[in-house]
Amino acid sequence: MEMVLYVTQGGPNSIQALANLDAICREHLQGNFRLEVIDVLQFPQRALADGIVVTPSLAKVSPAPGVRIAGNLSDQGSVLRALGIAVKVP
Amino acid sequence: MNSSPAPIRPSSGARPAHGFAKTILRLVKNPAERQAIESGQIDAIVDAASGSAILLPDAQRALLARSPDALERSDVAHDGSWIQDAEGRFTSHFAPAQAGAGLGDGAILGKTLWELGFDNLHDTDWQAHRQLLAWRAPFRDLELRRVDIHGRRQYVALSGEPLFDEQQRFLGYRGILRQIGVRRAIELQQFEHRRAAWAALDAVSIPVCVLDETGIAVLVNSAWRRAPCDLPGFQAGVREGDSYLDACLADGGAGGMDGAAVAAGIRQVIGGERRQFRYELAVSDACARSCCVLEASAVAEEGRACAVVTLTDISRAKGIERLLSLELAVARQLAEAAEVGLGLQAALRVLCDRLGWDCGRFLRLDRAAGLLRQVESWGVPGEAVQGFLERSTGLELRQDAGLAGRVVQSGQAVWDYGAAPDREDSSMALAQEIGAGGSCLFPASHDGEILGVLAFSGALVGMLVGASDERLMQTLRSVGDQVGGFLQRMRALEDLRCSETRYRSFAEISSDWHWEQDPEFRFTRIVGSGPFGAASALGLTHWELPDIVPLDAHWAEHRSRLAAHWSFCDVEFSMDDAKGNRHRYLISGVPVFDAAGVYVGYRGTGLEIGHRPGELAHTAGGAGVAG
Repeated sequence: MEMVLYVTQGGPNSIQALANLDAICREHLQGNFRLEVIDVLQFPQRALADGIVVTPSLAKVSPAPGVRIAGNLSDQGSVLRALGIAVKVP
Repeated sequence: MNSSPAPIRPSSGARPAHGFAKTILRLVKNPAERQAIESGQIDAIVDAASGSAILLPDAQRALLARSPDALERSDVAHDGSWIQDAEGRFTSHFAPAQAGAGLGDGAILGKTLWELGFDNLHDTDWQAHRQLLAWRAPFRDLELRRVDIHGRRQYVALSGEPLFDEQQRFLGYRGILRQIGVRRAIELQQFEHRRAAWAALDAVSIPVCVLDETGIAVLVNSAWRRAPCDLPGFQAGVREGDSYLDACLADGGAGGMDGAAVAAGIRQVIGGERRQFRYELAVSDACARSCCVLEASAVAEEGRACAVVTLTDISRAKGIERLLSLELAVARQLAEAAEVGLGLQAALRVLCDRLGWDCGRFLRLDRAAGLLRQVESWGVPGEAVQGFLERSTGLELRQDAGLAGRVVQSGQAVWDYGAAPDREDSSMALAQEIGAGGSCLFPASHDGEILGVLAFSGALVGMLVGASDERLMQTLRSVGDQVGGFLQRMRALEDLRCSETRYRSFAEISSDWHWEQDPEFRFTRIVGSGPFGAASALGLTHWELPDIVPLDAHWAEHRSRLAAHWSFCDVEFSMDDAKGNRHRYLISGVPVFDAAGVYVGYRGTGLEIGHRPGELAHTAGGAGVAG
């Protein structure tokens, strides 16, 4: 899976989003992902070019369909559903 | 990690928090993003108008709290500090006079940055900066340039953060300034140049990917990002940070490209072993044939070797090349054909071979009969096609009806898809026979006169593509003209042959023999029933012939005329046969010249005009030579 996380360096929600995504990747993707983190304070044009309006925002680039999730990714269930990750029921 | 999100809190700045939140929400239309803002999960908004990230109050406070007085206490070396009021006017500054760009000058007090005349920022830049200030956002390394009184360019970088009092009312900005040295100024200029180069690269319509010395993509332009769909098989899915060489090696040839060969070629370019590497890839499917070229060129950037990979779609150029080659092949076949049938069949075959059509036929137009008659055909081997052609042998169609008739009436090509059962000339459609789906008919004409119709059948897809290809239409017109010209030429040759035959028959009935002589007037050819055997006369002149009645004076006069290369008519001479009978003859001749105008001998005719047993003939006419 290829994803881009747009953050504001040092922003509390951005820090939280990064931590939440890190947990999701470790738990559900087992290394089968590629993540690019963009600091919009440094690269606002990149965010604009990619259609990102708020940070933190997570964009799933591949596999299709592409998905964008705004916020600090604290609702793990919603994030997993949006990313199309099937969760095993114990 | 599942902390419950805090709702967005009112800003603690002087501006009413409600208004601030409303303004923020106005910038964001997407409901999910608005909800994220309202639930306090957002740090910043990227403002499309200013092109900057606007920190929301909580994030701003968090950043400031994490690093109070960050700028002043930062480890970043600075050359001065400053404070602005809420209107952006300088209220104090501390900087050495040589701080640069005029910011060491006390005259800046009471003025805003945009009133100080820096020449590297324009109105739009200042609008963006002022927008930033309006959002109370910190800014870093705002680079400013001004020409000093000595005419030198001075560079400084300003960083600032908003100031609030204890009641969180906005007071203005404070910040630091740093002198930017010459090296930084050069870097800035280089960056500007590079940014311009990147912008130019982005504007180029050809996909471009810049590789570093290890084959990693360091830059791809917009056209490259769009390329994967347009140019499959070239690893155009590679993005910045990916190894183009690895992508090529991992390709496995699925897209038709020899990835190992391409990777090796690019490596050679990067290694300086060659200046350029070129790889051409042709891809064909049922609908179209595309052809693309990958070119890797060596470039050196700041001493580092790298390569620029470009992808160029040359399908159109290749297509034109193929059609020109087709026109040439048809022209060659027609030029080399000795007979009409052979030429037409060769032309039909070339067209079918090159355009992927199943069969082609030529229908000659007989205007007098008002009919089009199939005279030649060619088809790919196979029972269905050959059976179809066999059944259509001798086909006759009305010149004013059906598809072929439309071609004759309009003088234009006609494309047809499928076979309508009620169509008068359903025999034109191979579709019914072999499941093919289309026909193409176009005229063969010469000087505007239609001499016939060329009719082809083939797969529907190919015909659909062909019908929309203006260049192919041009080629068909050219081929139609070539075939028309060929028919006209062959007709002219046939007329010439008939004329020659007619002339020969006239010559034969108006003379007893005809002859040819070399420049020395010696016979080289004698045809017909003359007074002398051809074998015995060859190599002799008229006056050297055996049994000729000698009359030297007259022959001398005749020879003088020949020497002057004059033509002569009805020159009479006599010969005695073995029985003593004297025969009288008339000869006529003309000098012959080759294409270069060089005299090569005489040719003419001879006629016996009678004989008198045992009596000598007398001279007949002034030009006569008689014994």
